[in-house]
Amino acid sequence: MKTYPPGTVRALLDSDMVTPQTREALRARLSADESYDEPSFLDVDLFLTLRAACARLIPQPESAKPIDCASAIDKRLANGEGDGWRYDALPADGETFRRGLRGLDEAARAKFSFSFHQLDDARQDELLLAVQRGDVKGGVWETLSANLFFEELLAAATEIYYSHPLAQELIGYAGMADAHGWQAIGLDQLEAWEPRASEDTSD
Amino acid sequence: MIERHQPLPEGAASEINEPRTGQAPDLHGRPLPMRQYSVSETVDAVVVGTGAGGAPLLARLAAAGLRVVALEAGKHWSPARDFVTDEVAQSKLFWNDERLSAGGDPLAFGRNNSGTGVGGSTLHYTAYTPRVQPDDLRLHTEFGVGVNWPLSYEDLEPYYDELERFLGVSGPTPYPWGPARNSAYPLAPLPLNGAAQLMQRGCNTLGIRTSPAANAALSGLYYQEGVGWRAACSNRGFCQAGCTTGAKASMDVTYVPLAVHYGAEVRAESFVTRFERDSSGCITEVIYMREGREERQRCHRVFLCAGAIETPRLLLLNDLANSSGQVGKNFMAHTGIQVWGRFEEDVRPYKGIPGALISEDTHRPPDADFAGGYLLQSIGVMPVTYAAQVARGRGLWGTELREHMRGYNHTAGINILGDCLPYEHSYLELSDEPDARGLPKPRIHFTNGENEQRLNAHAEKLMREIWATAGAHDIWAFPRNAHIIGTCRMGTNSDTAVVNNEGRTFDVPNLYISDNSTFPSALSCNPALTIMALSLRTADCFLERARRMEN
Repeated sequence: MKTYPPGTVRALLDSDMVTPQTREALRARLSADESYDEPSFLDVDLFLTLRAACARLIPQPESAKPIDCASAIDKRLANGEGDGWRYDALPADGETFRRGLRGLDEAARAKFSFSFHQLDDARQDELLLAVQRGDVKGGVWETLSANLFFEELLAAATEIYYSHPLAQELIGYAGMADAHGWQAIGLDQLEAWEPRASEDTSD
Repeated sequence: MIERHQPLPEGAASEINEPRTGQAPDLHGRPLPMRQYSVSETVDAVVVGTGAGGAPLLARLAAAGLRVVALEAGKHWSPARDFVTDEVAQSKLFWNDERLSAGGDPLAFGRNNSGTGVGGSTLHYTAYTPRVQPDDLRLHTEFGVGVNWPLSYEDLEPYYDELERFLGVSGPTPYPWGPARNSAYPLAPLPLNGAAQLMQRGCNTLGIRTSPAANAALSGLYYQEGVGWRAACSNRGFCQAGCTTGAKASMDVTYVPLAVHYGAEVRAESFVTRFERDSSGCITEVIYMREGREERQRCHRVFLCAGAIETPRLLLLNDLANSSGQVGKNFMAHTGIQVWGRFEEDVRPYKGIPGALISEDTHRPPDADFAGGYLLQSIGVMPVTYAAQVARGRGLWGTELREHMRGYNHTAGINILGDCLPYEHSYLELSDEPDARGLPKPRIHFTNGENEQRLNAHAEKLMREIWATAGAHDIWAFPRNAHIIGTCRMGTNSDTAVVNNEGRTFDVPNLYISDNSTFPSALSCNPALTIMALSLRTADCFLERARRMEN
């Protein structure tokens, strides 16, 4: 398994390999981590469920300060930001998330007698997998497609996570460093400023 | 019905003596002087939308001396100033008003196929610009399904020649497929990136011909009429989220400045909602929202170029041009299945023109069990787009998702663009759910039929073979439909079509449609170049008709 050295994207952001406009956009995302807001769309209980679910969908055990996908989703819902379409089978995004998260928590209480966010990783994963497979019945799932809700939740968390410079650093992405364009674009061709991977012997 | 006689101005280039009180931003944010028309003045034409359907004809009409105003729902960006190399920040280029996706294969809109802003969806197209092959336009004759086009390759060919020259298309000479060309591509092909080299390797071994693709992005410095010098492509690989250098021939750096040069006004952030008509049924005013206020532009005629969703939506909202009952019907979306693989080599899928390589050997595969065909293209991809596809398409999450994404730099894709037949079950309608403006959201029903399933299966098998041969592991397929097509079909009969082969609506004498909505069939190639060709042809047909009426 390949691993990339830490700090590559952050170093590129300080260089003239990145345009000023791109630098500004990515730095804003880096510093957004500093401000941890109260949820503005979801109530606290639903937000705790969302945060716990995101931690399993995008686990970040290596990070002392994980990228906060849950807050970003809450913000997106509060601002009514869409991406141009939604499944006709689902209600509006906000309603889908409210009902889906409530359903996830109800499933946790029904099966394990605890709130979803209080469960251990394995039990949370078990419930998330059941929702993904549409293998949950009753309650909100009578009127909400479980697998489509899961797909929307997972897609939202994934897009937020991989748009973060630190997540991009971990996969060796350096596309933002294009201020001078790219000449070495063929197979196994790298520019001097592109991060090099090393074999990770730990896995 | 005959359009009312409207005198045409004398010749072209009247712009030189006209005052230019307005401004349009150029690539770098510098103001270009632009003519402005008053809303009380009756302009010769209003063009709704500035993408591949609207911008070429806007320039053509302005060059003929017509007083034309383009109304564009989105902003007028200056890419070098306003665009960044970040997928999320660039989501401003996509049509993000919500559409409801129904049917057996609900279609993704937004970044998948729908743009906004001056330049429309060309702001985020990959600039892949193959021509149709002649038999693409005769699907019914050849296979007994779908419909034929009411025009032939010969009708489009002069426009293809002109477009490739004007836009500065980079492509191979000779081009291995289709009829002999009148002239070489004006620029040599763009360089092959990692994905293209891998596809070439797999195809070579399997005996499938490949070629560097035709792309409307400059492989060298290029001079363009009315615009000036455009820089060569720097291989940023970011075509699908906006070109910052002007090397990609999106409409905002080609036909739009040309139109402004000839005296057109481009009115951005103007969202058209309604049309006023006179007793004869002709449109007299276009009504639109701008800066929160309703404005009205008087005009002699309208060219509706808002794309295969917003065009029929506007017509249905206004109960216009639909005596055939065909508005919103025949909705198609290109078969566009992608196959991804993981390679030992460093691919770095963020570099180089995304669609660098093409094969049209699959245009009519000998072992096909379906009508039509498809082309193959190598594809690069940006990380957020790829990760979202892994999430939605494979359902990977948790550690599995993160492990998969650690291989991003070693990932390469092949994509098809293939036919899609029209079906009764695939159509657009107005829902009863209002959007932020209080207008009903469109609901689009889409389900692939047996023909699309067979075509996709054929393509998936072949692409898996190519990737396996090229040395890939962890090969997986992302089922997908791409470009939106149909909904205002072009035809010869007013009972079964919305516009004739000149793009003029059968019902409203002074209303034309120029965009992907008029395509009678989906075609086995990317639509942009053909949308532009039809746009120029519609303008020429209109101008010719107007001249004949004068003499």
